[in-house]
Amino acid sequence: MAISFTLNGKPQSVDVSPDMPLLWVLRDTLNMTGTKFGCGMALCGACTVHINGEATRSCVTAISSVAGKKVTTIEGLSADGSHPVQQAWMEEDVPQCGYCQSGQIMSAVALLSKKPNPTDTDIDDAMSGNICRCGTYQRIRKAIHRAASMHTAKANSAA
Amino acid sequence: MSVVVPRRVFLKSSAVAGTALLVPFHLSGNPRAHKASGSSTSNTSGSFSPNAWLELSSGGDVKIWCGKSEMGQGVRTSLPMIVAEELGCDWASVNVVQADLDAKYGDQLTGGSLSVRTSYDNLRKAGAAAREMLISAAAREWYVERSTCRAENGSVIHLSTQKRLPYAQLVALAAGISPSADPPLKNPSDFKLIGKSTRRTDSLAKVTGAAKFGLDTRLSGMLIASVERSPVYGGTPRRFNADEVKSAPHVRAVFEVKSAHLTHQFGETSGPGSRNYSCAGVAVVADSTWAAVQARKLLKVEWNEPPSAFETTASLREKMLRFASEPGTIIRNDGDFEKAHASAAKKIDAVYEVPFLAHATMEPVNCTAHVRSDSCELWAPTQIPGAAADSIASALGIPRERVKVHVTFIGGGFGRRLIQDYAVEAALISRDAGAPVQVVWSREDDIRHDFYRPAACHVLQAGLDAQGQLISWRHRGSSPSIETFFNGTGISPRAAAQVDSLDFPALFVPNFRLEFTVAESGMPLGYWRSVDASGNQFVISSFFDEAAHAAGRDPLEFLLAAFGPARKIPVGSGETLDVGRRRNVIELAAQESGWGRPMPSGRGRGIAAAFGWGSYVAQVAEVTCDADKGTLRVDRVVCAIDCGTAVNPLGVKAQMEGAINFGLAQTLKSAITVSGGRVEQSNFHDYEVLRMSDAPPVIDVHIVPSAEPPGGCGEPGVPPAAPAVANAIFAATGKRIRRLPIRAADLGRRPAPAR
Repeated sequence: MAISFTLNGKPQSVDVSPDMPLLWVLRDTLNMTGTKFGCGMALCGACTVHINGEATRSCVTAISSVAGKKVTTIEGLSADGSHPVQQAWMEEDVPQCGYCQSGQIMSAVALLSKKPNPTDTDIDDAMSGNICRCGTYQRIRKAIHRAASMHTAKANSAA
Repeated sequence: MSVVVPRRVFLKSSAVAGTALLVPFHLSGNPRAHKASGSSTSNTSGSFSPNAWLELSSGGDVKIWCGKSEMGQGVRTSLPMIVAEELGCDWASVNVVQADLDAKYGDQLTGGSLSVRTSYDNLRKAGAAAREMLISAAAREWYVERSTCRAENGSVIHLSTQKRLPYAQLVALAAGISPSADPPLKNPSDFKLIGKSTRRTDSLAKVTGAAKFGLDTRLSGMLIASVERSPVYGGTPRRFNADEVKSAPHVRAVFEVKSAHLTHQFGETSGPGSRNYSCAGVAVVADSTWAAVQARKLLKVEWNEPPSAFETTASLREKMLRFASEPGTIIRNDGDFEKAHASAAKKIDAVYEVPFLAHATMEPVNCTAHVRSDSCELWAPTQIPGAAADSIASALGIPRERVKVHVTFIGGGFGRRLIQDYAVEAALISRDAGAPVQVVWSREDDIRHDFYRPAACHVLQAGLDAQGQLISWRHRGSSPSIETFFNGTGISPRAAAQVDSLDFPALFVPNFRLEFTVAESGMPLGYWRSVDASGNQFVISSFFDEAAHAAGRDPLEFLLAAFGPARKIPVGSGETLDVGRRRNVIELAAQESGWGRPMPSGRGRGIAAAFGWGSYVAQVAEVTCDADKGTLRVDRVVCAIDCGTAVNPLGVKAQMEGAINFGLAQTLKSAITVSGGRVEQSNFHDYEVLRMSDAPPVIDVHIVPSAEPPGGCGEPGVPPAAPAVANAIFAATGKRIRRLPIRAADLGRRPAPAR
């Protein structure tokens, strides 16, 4: 039975087993490989996407539970790297191997949407579910602060 | 032609930093073709490709090939920078292309912190050869002497007239000029790119999800395989319910994967003599990852288990402890330890332990293969594509040149992807499935079927004279041996040793003995970022700190006093040990950390250093401990590195930050234990690694300015992190950490339970 949802702003319908996790629907059915498989148990955060704006581990989210909802993946932020968080990531030269970074960025975007000026403690709380084996944590913190200040600067200039 | 890296340089940290690596000049894999044609290659589309490494187009684009694997360490930035520097092109015009496996790129092994070190001279020559040809082309165009022209920022300039021709307009002419095998190189004082902090070339791909890792390979008709492997390494399937699993939805095939011979290709250990690795298991091949994973849950396999099915962490520990308490193979023996130790005014002794460790790369092990009747095409996240091709050719019985290897982005290597078990496995499964197949390891597969950093026990003794001088030092180590695992028990005890005869404080203590005994284990072993040094430096630098405190001296002062004045000490084979560079990084890290300034109660500083891979690293860690709660926080790590010429300082800093966090994971979190020959951990809940909340708020990296040849940067930042933290804990609490990872009980007031 087809399951319909909104994917990066566009209607999407898939005909798969209802228990298939969203992660594998994205990667195997839709060939959208920006969302990564890391652990399969919501322990590492590599598969993080947004469902109705909430950072969610797609590896443990059955596709049936996504029906009718809005899913945003890393591909949905921007393809050209123009999203402020992607910009901040590049300016701080955050990625190393890069495998975890889709998930890191999706968690960071969700954090910033709730807390536009997060403290280091906020960042630790929101980001500790995302593992980076290359150890880019210090640069991730800087990039989140940078994205926050970009947002603030934009808000100020608009006002 | 391949570049032969001396095995010890790869396997060991090579305590003698600055070891010259003799790499044959290598511009192209097919120099004869150049000789025959008398000129470089050009094609009808208007491009100029003087050698394997670069191509200029008449449109102004510059393509530079990266011959090493990008696994986060930044080779797709640092290596092209070297070519671009000598070429003199605009960095913004450079497109970096990943090289597939091809002899024209020389040795494509990516490991041992070797990439920049072994590529530097060749890549400079590759860029310089092209630049010189472009200058010649412009001189011909202008009918002027070459010597009146120079290259600058993507153009050739005629000095007296200031006429200028962009490289793009010289492409066709330059293609008709013979390349020089020995082009003049820039004076380093004229460098515009090398030494300048340069952002990564792959960031955009990695922040948009566009970067293709091995697991992102998608081929038409591709099936997915999930493999059940023996829970005890070396076991083979005796019986399994293939028919039942085959009837599960979307399953195409269920079959046994037989063990294969893997070529282990690190310099001297290449070729025969390498062992049969176990990659035996039962493959479930299905239309999707989810279908394969679900069907595998139905699989019931009876295994033939090897004798190591009885191994436990406790039994191995007991054996290692016994061996490390008895005389072992003498690796180094200076002076007379027994006599000096008997005369010591003060003596200390200690037992240190480190566990097995898994690599746990974020991208789980995977590989995609398409085997046809007499060929194999591979899409592999691999650090050693040549070994993948050798092993697959042998396993499939096809010529090596019929194995084509595409090197993908690697989602973390750390040494795991030097072992090509997973590549052979993918090829065998594709052959038997008759389709392109991606083999996907679950995280559980990845943690339970790794090639582990060996566990080890070390028993140390040291003696001080009445003036507090270190006069005697004996270090007896025991662990399973990576070398024995790869090459069998026939190798010499010295070659099997997991310690290095030049590791500090060798040469700086008059009566010094280092012994080692191999403790056999059934566990598969491999290279883990910084290899032996990852554990050994914790042991050595911690015990040295114990000696400083026993002498009642400041650890920094004690360390510098042991080294003595700056000088170069010959250590044989024409190599020297540079005491000045060692002292320098230690003094720099100490100074930048504010060493000696008082700290509040519960806080402390510790220092440790490591020398190897052609580089010198010292770190000072600052910690806050609450002994009552058993909590520990690493507040800051200050790191000084002398890596000779730092090609990309921004990348060097990233490597130090990453290495420190990697080192902190083994300090604070990670351990693999064994029961019944089985690894007890399975995923990130029980094999813990560093998370954001554990990561120090500040890591300060200071690079020593240097014009020396480049040193390695991937590994040398790892070993000092653990002892710097352990020494800081002692400064803060008086508790000495002698095993990793650090447990809350090790910090608490109550004595740690018997273990």
